[in-house]
Amino acid sequence: MGRLLSKLAVGAVAAASLIGGAGAASAEPLVAGVEASFPPWAYVESGEYKGIAIDAMRAIAEDQGLEVEFRDLPWPSLIPALAKGRIDLLVTGLNITEERNEVLDFSIPWWENDDEVLVPLDSDLNVVTALCCGATVGAQGGATQLQWLEDNLGANEDVDVTLRSYEDYVTAVEDMGAGRLDAVVTSTDTAEDFIAKDRPVKIVGTIQQNQPQALAVQKGDPKELLGKLNAGIMNIYRSGEWEEIVRQYSPQSTIRPIPASMPDYVDAYQEPIPGYSE
Amino acid sequence: MIVEILITQMPYLLHGVWVALQLLVCLLALGFVLGLSLAILEVYGHWTLRWFGVLFERIFRGIPAIVLLLLFYYGVADFVDISAFTAAVLALGLRSAAYQSQIFRGSILSISQGQMLAARAMGMSKPMAIREIILPQALRLSIGPWTNEFSSEMKATSLAYVIGVVELTRQARYIISSTQGNILAVFAVVAALYFIFNWLGNWGLYRLERKLAVPGFEQGGQG
Repeated sequence: MGRLLSKLAVGAVAAASLIGGAGAASAEPLVAGVEASFPPWAYVESGEYKGIAIDAMRAIAEDQGLEVEFRDLPWPSLIPALAKGRIDLLVTGLNITEERNEVLDFSIPWWENDDEVLVPLDSDLNVVTALCCGATVGAQGGATQLQWLEDNLGANEDVDVTLRSYEDYVTAVEDMGAGRLDAVVTSTDTAEDFIAKDRPVKIVGTIQQNQPQALAVQKGDPKELLGKLNAGIMNIYRSGEWEEIVRQYSPQSTIRPIPASMPDYVDAYQEPIPGYSE
Repeated sequence: MIVEILITQMPYLLHGVWVALQLLVCLLALGFVLGLSLAILEVYGHWTLRWFGVLFERIFRGIPAIVLLLLFYYGVADFVDISAFTAAVLALGLRSAAYQSQIFRGSILSISQGQMLAARAMGMSKPMAIREIILPQALRLSIGPWTNEFSSEMKATSLAYVIGVVELTRQARYIISSTQGNILAVFAVVAALYFIFNWLGNWGLYRLERKLAVPGFEQGGQG
């Protein structure tokens, strides 16, 4: 019996050292939080982080002499993790919104998106009927699309829609394929990615949003990263590296000038903008 | 086409299994040490210790695993810098301790009181009697119910992805999102992997139960 117990004790010690090893990651490189199931911005293929945001961040890091490691977190955890300082910056197709501006600081916007109304390939619905008259519409929980649908359609009693939120857009589109949704509203590049990957969906309408996207750091920028990020974004944009990266992952996209539209409410866009306006 | 993808992605799924198994071993080890201690305290301890054991067990059995994971990752991590993996081991391990304490408590109580009295009458101290007389029997009896705990914790590791532990379920989601679909095919393979490893684990535990069975011994020797 004593031997069995001592074996178990050895096991517990081994377990403890494994925990210690896992927790003792060096604090040196910056930790970039990503949600790696968000193509074409950030995803994992064959064990490697890929996507526009990932490659662009690598290019910016090289340009600015930063060391960055990526850490994958579920989408709803990303902003809280940044706000709490568990990650140093957020690297994904992050939309700039007023609420997010309250808890984090944005880099200059490198992208602009609209929202697309997706329906099944064989659906007869059009841009109007897909979003009214008893339709059931899906979007990702916590995403700006769902917020827009709630504010503009869900809150309006004359528009008869049922909104459903999903953990991610793949599940939403799959659910639409199963007939449980009439339409899915997603950002332009996600919609185009679905079509490029031969999912049986089509775009029946575009909701013009001019929604800018950017990188984000902790509120108040305690690690003084914004200057480097902004300078790096401008450098890879001017050198043409940005265009190469976007073309690689999303050949159908229109590349918009950087910086894209900068909303007045964003604290980090008050002059002088570090790394950009000086 | 999805078959090809699944074959090329299999090493990453298996790496996910490996992470899940590491998590499982760590959390079960934590649960075992703590659960056994709690059980002994609950049966033989002073009433304050007993009270503490009951409170601990009620709390950790009464909160959903996913909520515990979020609490440990976002709550505890405010005070101590711990990784997602460590947070998952703590959250699921403490919960497992609560469940395991009930398994061990039951099997300790199933050993007849007379054995303890006899051991004490022979001059053994109480801790010695627990170690040499009670536990060798009680632990053997625990293996059967413990297979339940093993299976349910194996499956619970799949929840750890909510705090960013890249285990099997998360690896599966990577394949789904990089191909923008194939949910059914990918999760069918993942289900098969969980099933296989669960089955192997249970097979090992039942073998252990047979191997440790004391032949001819009236209680706990039925195996």
